[in-house]
Amino acid sequence: MTEIDQASKIREIIEAYPADQRFALAAMQDMQHAFNYIPEEGLSALATYLGCAEAQLYSMATFYKALSLTPKGEHIVKICNGTACHLRGAMNLATELKRNLGIDPGQTTEDGEFSVELVNCLGSCALAPVMVVDGTYHNKLRVEQIPGIIDSYASAAKEVTAND
Amino acid sequence: MSEMITVTIDGIECTCEKGEYIYDVAKRNGIFIPVLCRHDAFPDHRACCRICIVEVEQRGRTKVVTSCVYPIDGECEIRTNSERIQEERAVLFALLGHRAPEAEVLDDMSASLDMSGFKRLISVDNEKCILCGLCVQACNALGTGAISTVQRGTDKKVDTPYDKPSEFCVGCLSCANVCPTGAIEYSQTDATRTIWNREFELVRCAECGEVMGTPESIRHAVGAEGDAPTVCDSCRKKRLADEMMHTYRYV
Repeated sequence: MTEIDQASKIREIIEAYPADQRFALAAMQDMQHAFNYIPEEGLSALATYLGCAEAQLYSMATFYKALSLTPKGEHIVKICNGTACHLRGAMNLATELKRNLGIDPGQTTEDGEFSVELVNCLGSCALAPVMVVDGTYHNKLRVEQIPGIIDSYASAAKEVTAND
Repeated sequence: MSEMITVTIDGIECTCEKGEYIYDVAKRNGIFIPVLCRHDAFPDHRACCRICIVEVEQRGRTKVVTSCVYPIDGECEIRTNSERIQEERAVLFALLGHRAPEAEVLDDMSASLDMSGFKRLISVDNEKCILCGLCVQACNALGTGAISTVQRGTDKKVDTPYDKPSEFCVGCLSCANVCPTGAIEYSQTDATRTIWNREFELVRCAECGEVMGTPESIRHAVGAEGDAPTVCDSCRKKRLADEMMHTYRYV
């Protein structure tokens, strides 16, 4: 995405909301969705638009885990580490992911394709251990299944770039 | 005038209006309640240090409340230093003290309390900040909004966005002055002042040479259109007094 594209997209996102402080979180969520993170320009543009301090928005952006100030990967892998998943080996999934992607939970691969996150209970304890990739639930996982799942997302991304 | 209520604070009868905060009533009557995160400059208080807790006995029931934000709504008996309060206050001081072991004010304030039995707590290294957020409140009240609390949980701290020198900071030192534990660091030389990683020039009074502040803080105080003063407040008053004396000499 070029800089001009990004600037106009930012404007489009923030101007969809009335200039009132209570829409700050909604606008930031939209930005997170559009760019996979909140760019610095986006935060300052939003502060100017809403007429509040940039520091205040920065405070919110660092508070909520759903918002990120550094670019997140194309695919977001969430490993549930709630009690049930933890007992049924969620940490083994994390280790297997590290073996596959070379990153710890909370990090993003260098090619920007995958982000791995360790999250608290996803509410699917009966299906433990659970891993969510881009909103798709993979349940009752065994460590051996991880490479296949990761490959299916990785290859999908590569095909798209090949078609371009 | 709204309804008047008579309350007893530590055995002293005090009259107050309905809705007044306990702390304000106590202070007016010369009763001392220790506080950290409360500052007279602001109309609303943070109530997050919780050091100002007091015991309120009303309609036969006793509860512990934060006096800085507890509005009196009826006749009651308030105890600011009972055994229960001292015990609970000691716990608060212990927790804050381990959060900010470098803050000497905490040791001074808790000197009269029984502080034994908190050995199991682990201290945060080299920390002075108790995260009350008074500095952020001061900065926002000034309309500069340069600092805020960032991150959350154990990583929470007060900082400028992106850890970079803020373009909105005017170097007025309000945050450092309002801080109850003196946690905000700044340095000052003859010509410059450094705070929040940003260096400011200093403006001195044209007459006495006292530091008046930074050009940015003076500009912020008088507004974009206003005339920036060249002399400090006391010199300005002196000048005015001299002028008055000359004017009214023969009156």
